[in-house]
Parts: sequence; structure tokens; C-alpha cells
Amino acid sequence: MSLYPAFARPRDLGQAAEIMGSLSTGAMIIAGGQELMPSVNYGALMPEVYIDVGQIAALKGISEEAGAIQIGSFTVHRDVQNNDLIQSKLPLLSYAAAQIGGGMQVHNRGTIGGNIVAMHPLYDILPSLLALGAEVDVLSDVGEVRVALADLMKDARHGLGSESLLVRVHLKPMMPGAGWSYEKLKITAGGYGSANAAAIVTLDSSKITSLRVVVGAVSALPVDMSDTLSDCCGQAWSAHLAEEVEARSSAEIKEPLSDHQGDGEWRRAMAGVMARGAIEAAIKKAG
Amino acid sequence: MEDMLEDTVLVNLRVNGKLHELEIPAHKSLLDLLREDLNMTGTHMGCMTGHCGACTVSIDGRVAKSCITLAATLSRAKITTIEGLTEEDGTLSPIQQAFWDEAGFQCGYCAPGMLMCTAELLESNSDPSDSEIETALAGNLCRCTGYQSLKRAVKAAAVKAKEKAS
Repeated sequence: MSLYPAFARPRDLGQAAEIMGSLSTGAMIIAGGQELMPSVNYGALMPEVYIDVGQIAALKGISEEAGAIQIGSFTVHRDVQNNDLIQSKLPLLSYAAAQIGGGMQVHNRGTIGGNIVAMHPLYDILPSLLALGAEVDVLSDVGEVRVALADLMKDARHGLGSESLLVRVHLKPMMPGAGWSYEKLKITAGGYGSANAAAIVTLDSSKITSLRVVVGAVSALPVDMSDTLSDCCGQAWSAHLAEEVEARSSAEIKEPLSDHQGDGEWRRAMAGVMARGAIEAAIKKAG
Repeated sequence: MEDMLEDTVLVNLRVNGKLHELEIPAHKSLLDLLREDLNMTGTHMGCMTGHCGACTVSIDGRVAKSCITLAATLSRAKITTIEGLTEEDGTLSPIQQAFWDEAGFQCGYCAPGMLMCTAELLESNSDPSDSEIETALAGNLCRCTGYQSLKRAVKAAAVKAKEKAS
């Protein structure tokens, strides 16, 4: 083994699986590098092999097939923001991708796959993907499997490990007339959020008929509030219901993060504020 | 499988129009390649975490932070650095001149990022609003100007770019 890391450039998924299966845990996949490189620069991670997946065509592109939208994991945030298909059928995702911190530079190179596998509590895409009920294809040396993103996250510690590669994301288009919102509490334009929430709401006249709410940036992983708040369905939004949603969402945060973005008690309180705000904003857009 | 691993990587990069063929170690960042191998020190090293934007360059027409870009992944890319903004005769470009006129920098450390992002913004938006400027510059930190003169500079640059185009 050389003192310096080696480099591998698989041309297709088959080669990628073969390389991943044959290397030790010191091998790391690199796509845009926006998650990996800061850790490398600070010595927190020292890959023995970089596996550059930028040449693999199967990881690229956005398409619609059989009523579902596929987004290749190598798709950069800027393309998620500006793609016509995503803008028209998944406006929540397009908007959330535009709220990612780090500025235009990071939007140009950071990928949706990298953002997912980082599973960083402060990143912006996971709450929306979970609210949208995303599924993902994961490749390892045993082949490609399709799993619900929510299930993948329950299993994962940090990322997928060095033996798996996220291939693509599957999403069903949002229902016509659904209202949506992504609210992010942040201090600076390009910064991380201290709490955020993605919401999708459908209404029948003024009554809520379906509700998806996921709160992020307040605990180690985003928290799906949809079941907790399911009894909002059948009710019209009111000041009373809003207060109840806020209190119950805050109570769902069992182990709040306490870091430079704010202390735990405040984060828990803000979880409720963001959930309430996201639902309110989504209801305004529904129709 | 060992035959698929390279200890060094051959990259062909067109930097500010000039082609460079380099054999580099796999772990080299684009920032280090520009500063150490090509002696182009206009691109600044700041935080090394992707927060400050001082290392910004354009890769295939899109701005990126070179400190968190692995050079080995960029074979056959076209890179424009701050040095590449200058006109062919060595005079300042309209954007650079606008930053000069409006004091769009003080110490100048953040200037590469501010200028490269402004150049990309003005390519698609000839008359940006305050909020569009804020979004475009959000990936760059400036500790001197308080950002007001930067906004003025971008607006002045938009006017100059339009004058030049007409």
C-alpha cells in the first residue's frame, strides 16, 4: 500500500460494484466532493482509495417512467433546482434544493446522492425527500436493491459505508393541487438551518385530507411527524389546531441536538414552530 | 482488481484557455494544483471546508470551490480562474473595473469568489435584484466590506457589462 491514496474510476455500475466489493473500508466514493473533501482537508477522513463515480452514466439524468420520476444520484443541486420535470411535478424538492447552504458553488457540484448518504442532520434535502416518500436504489456486490429512504435511514449509521453506492432516487409526482412548503430557520443567507420542516398538504374545501410533515436539523435524523399529526385530517386549520400541532411536534423531539446552531431546548421549541409554519404555508398554497 | 487502481492520475485541464497535462497524486485538490503546480496564486486558500469561497474558480462554466474539488475527478475540464477574467490586453474586465470603482473589496482575500460568482450571475441575469445578488454571493464570506459595497459593485458591473455588449 502506497503512503498516498490510490484512485479508481469505474466506467459502469458493474465495475463500481466489483471495486467496492474488493476493497477494504478505507475506500471512499467521491462524486462532487462537497461532503468528503472538507473532512479530508481537516484530517478527519483519510481515504486509502478514492472511487470516482463521475464517469458512470447510470448515475446521471432525470427522467419520468411509468408515472414516477427518477433522479440519478450524481445529479447536482442546481439541476434539481432548474429541471422542468422536477419544477412542475416535485416543486417542493426543487425549492428545497435551492435552500441548500454553501452558495452557488456548492449547488453546482454537490449531488443529491451525496446529500442523502451524508445523512447530516443540518442538510436540506432529506426532510423533503422523506415527506415525498422517496425510494432509492442501492448497489452493492450482491446487486441492486430498492428500499424506502426512510428504511435506509433507520439502518444507517453514517452514509452507506464503503461497500454500497446510491444509484438513483424514485419519487412519485406530487398530487395536483397539493400545497407544499419548506421552512428553514437560519441566520445567514448561505448558512445551515437551526430547524427546518417540509410539509405537503391536500385540502377538500377547507378541511385537511392528507398531511405529510418532516422536521429536520433538530435531531440526529429528520423526524417524520405525519403519523403523530394524522388526526389533523378532517379538520380545518385554526389557531387552536396550529398551537396543538406546534406543541405535539416539539414533544416528538426526544433527543434534540445541542450545538453551535442553538441549544437543545430551543431547538425542540423551534421544531414545533417550523412544523406549524410549514403546514400553514402549505395550506395557503393548496387549492 | 489492482489493475483498476492508479497511484497517480493523469489530468488534462484547460486553464484560462491554456492546456496543461499533469500527473498528480490522487488526493490533490484543484486549489493545490492551481497554486502549487501552475503557480496561479490568484485563487486563495481560506477555510478548506467550503465555507468561505475564497478559492472559487469556474469549472466548465460553473463556479466551484477549488479547495473541496478533487483535481483527479476533473479530466478534460475547462477551468477559469480570477487571472482569466482580465481582458486579453491586460486591462481589467468590466466586472473587475466595477469592483475597483465601487470598492467591492478591501483586503481582497474574498475577491476571487466574489468576482467569479458575479461573472456567473451576470451571464444569465443582466439586471439582478438585491436578493438575486445575495443568493449569488451567498457562498462567499467577506470580513471587510459589510457586503454593501459588494452589492453596489455587482450592480455597477451589470451596467458596465450591458454597455460593453451594446
